[in-house]
Amino acid sequence: MTQPLPDSPAAASPALVFEARGLKKQYDDGCVQALRGVNFRITQGEFVVIIGPSGCGKTTLLQMLGALDVPSAGILHYRDKSIADLPDPSGYRAREIGIIFQAFHLLPTFTAVENVQMPMFETDRPAAMRTERAVELLTSVGLEHRLDHFPSKLSGGEKQRVAIARSLANGPSVLLADEPTGNLDSENAKHILELIIRLRREKNMTLVLVTHDLNIARLASRVIKMKDGLIVADEQTPPPAA
Amino acid sequence: MTFFTIVVRGLLRRPVRTGLTLVGISIGIAAVVALVGISRGFEASWATGMKVRGTDIVVSNMGNALAPKPFSSEVRDRIGNLPEVASACSIYADLTSVEDASMMVVSAREWGGFSWQNLKLISGRMPHDAMEPAVVLGQTAAEMLKKKIGDPLQLETKELTVTGIVDGGAMVENGSVILSLALFQNITGNEGRINVIDIRATPGMSEDEVKQLCNKIDAIAPEAKAMVAGEHLGNSQAFRFISAMSWGTSLLAVIVGVLGVMNTMLMTVFERKQEICILLAIGWKPGRVIRMILWESALLGFLGGIVGVIIGTIGVKVLETLPAIHGMLEPDFNAELMGVAVVLSVVVGVLSGLYPAWRSSRLTPSLAMQG
Repeated sequence: MTQPLPDSPAAASPALVFEARGLKKQYDDGCVQALRGVNFRITQGEFVVIIGPSGCGKTTLLQMLGALDVPSAGILHYRDKSIADLPDPSGYRAREIGIIFQAFHLLPTFTAVENVQMPMFETDRPAAMRTERAVELLTSVGLEHRLDHFPSKLSGGEKQRVAIARSLANGPSVLLADEPTGNLDSENAKHILELIIRLRREKNMTLVLVTHDLNIARLASRVIKMKDGLIVADEQTPPPAA
Repeated sequence: MTFFTIVVRGLLRRPVRTGLTLVGISIGIAAVVALVGISRGFEASWATGMKVRGTDIVVSNMGNALAPKPFSSEVRDRIGNLPEVASACSIYADLTSVEDASMMVVSAREWGGFSWQNLKLISGRMPHDAMEPAVVLGQTAAEMLKKKIGDPLQLETKELTVTGIVDGGAMVENGSVILSLALFQNITGNEGRINVIDIRATPGMSEDEVKQLCNKIDAIAPEAKAMVAGEHLGNSQAFRFISAMSWGTSLLAVIVGVLGVMNTMLMTVFERKQEICILLAIGWKPGRVIRMILWESALLGFLGGIVGVIIGTIGVKVLETLPAIHGMLEPDFNAELMGVAVVLSVVVGVLSGLYPAWRSSRLTPSLAMQG
C-alpha cells in the first residue's frame, strides 16, 4: 500500500532536501512492517514535526533520513541523491546532518567539550580548532561554565544542550531530533525546544523533529501525522502567535 | 583532545580490568624475556668460557645429552699432529650432581694442558701432579658447595681435597669443579676416554682457515665433530631442545596473554556497544572505530611489553640470588631481546584486537536510537 505523492511544490520554492516515494521498512523477514509506503518532500529550512503513537514508524523514518538504516523498498533521496546508495553514509552523517537523541547519548568518560568534538574527528580540523569550535558551540547553548564537566555532573537539560551542540559540530544543514524533550521536565523541555528552534532559525537549517507532544507540533511549520507505518496527514501549520 | 586521548580514555574506563589484562600479557612477555634471556646467556657464557681458555676449536660429539658423548683419547694424538694445530687439550666434561648441588659442571683437564692456564688462583694451590687426589673449585662452585681450602669433596666414590679456589674468567669456569683428567678417568673407570678436545690453532689463522681446519679434523676424527668455539653448544640437540622448550613455554605464556587481551577487548566492545553505535551515528566511519579498538589493544600490548620486560628482568635477578642456582645464571638481556619482546607484545595486542575490532565495525548505527 503506497500513498500518493503530495502536490509538487511551486517552481520557486526552496531547494528540495528530502524526497520519499513508496518508502518501506520491514523487520524480521517482513513480519514487522515499520513503514508501509511513505511519500513526502521536505524543503530547505522547513521545520517538520512527525507525530504519532508509539510504533507508528516515526523513529524508523528518522533513522532512514539519517542513513542510520536502509529502506527495504522505495526511494529516499537527499538533495536528489539516494540515501541508500550514498558512497559514504558516515560522511553524510558527519557533515550533512546533526542528530539529537531522546536519551542524549553523551559519552560518559568524556567532558562536555570533548563530547562536542567527537563528530569533528571526521573533518580536517586540527585539535586546537576542534576545541575552539566546541567551546564556541557550548557557549551558544549557554554552557560556557560547564565545559569540563562530565555528563554525570550535568542536569538533564544541560546534557541535552551538550547533545545539541554536538549535533551542530560540523555545521549541518539538517537537524534530526528524536523526542529531544522526552526525558526532560516541562521547564527544561520548553528551554530546549526554544533553543533548537532558535538555532534552526539562525542557521536556516531544516529541522525534522519526532515527538508525541502536540504542543511541540504547534510550533512547527508542518506536521506529518503517522499511524501504522503510514502518513495519515501532512499539514502546513499557521505560524504561532507572537 | 586528540584521537590518542580517546584511545587512552577507553582503556582507563575500566582500570582494574585493564590492569589485570596488563598483568596477564606482562607475565607472558616476562616469560619470554626470562627464558630466552637465560637460554641465550647460557650459550653466551659457554662461548666466553671457550674464549678465556683461548680455545679456537672444540672437538666433541654433542648428541642428545647435555654433556658430550665420550670417545677414545687416541683422537687427541691424531689431531695434535696436524701442523695447523698449535696445541690440543683433552677434557672430560660432565654435568652431574656433586654432594648437595643438583647439577654442576665437572671439568677434568689434561694435566699440563693449556686449559689450566686461564685459572687464576684466588686462594690455596693447584694440585701437585696429575694423580694427587685434589680438585680446584671455581669461586661460584666453592660458594655453592660451601667449601674452603682443605675441605673434602666427594666425587663418585672417591673423597678428594679442595686445594685451590680459582677465578676462571667466565661463569662456566667459575661454576666448575676442576681436576686432572687422569684422576677423573681413574675415579670413574673411564681410562682412555675423553669427550672434548680444546684446540688452539696456529696463531694468525683467518676464520676461513679455522673452518678449513675443522673440516680437516672431521676427516681424520670421525668419532667427533670439530666446531669453531662458541658455536658447538648451539649444535647440541639437547641445547636446541632446551632452547625450543624455552620458546615453547614462552609461546604458551604469550597465547594466554593473547586470549586475555582478546577477552578484554571483546568485553570492551560488548560493554561499549551503544557508545560505538553513537559514534557511528554521529558520523564516525567504521574504519575509525576499528582503529580505535586496535590502538587500544596495541597500547595495552605496548604497556604489557614494557612491564613484562621489567618483570622478566627483575624476576631473573631475583632467581639469581636463590642459593640453589646462584652463579649458574648469566642471562643475556640485550637491547635487541628487550626490543623484540616489546614489539612481540604490541603485535600480540594488535592481533588480539582484530576480532573485537571487526565485531565493532559490524555494529549498526541505528542501535544508537535504542535505549
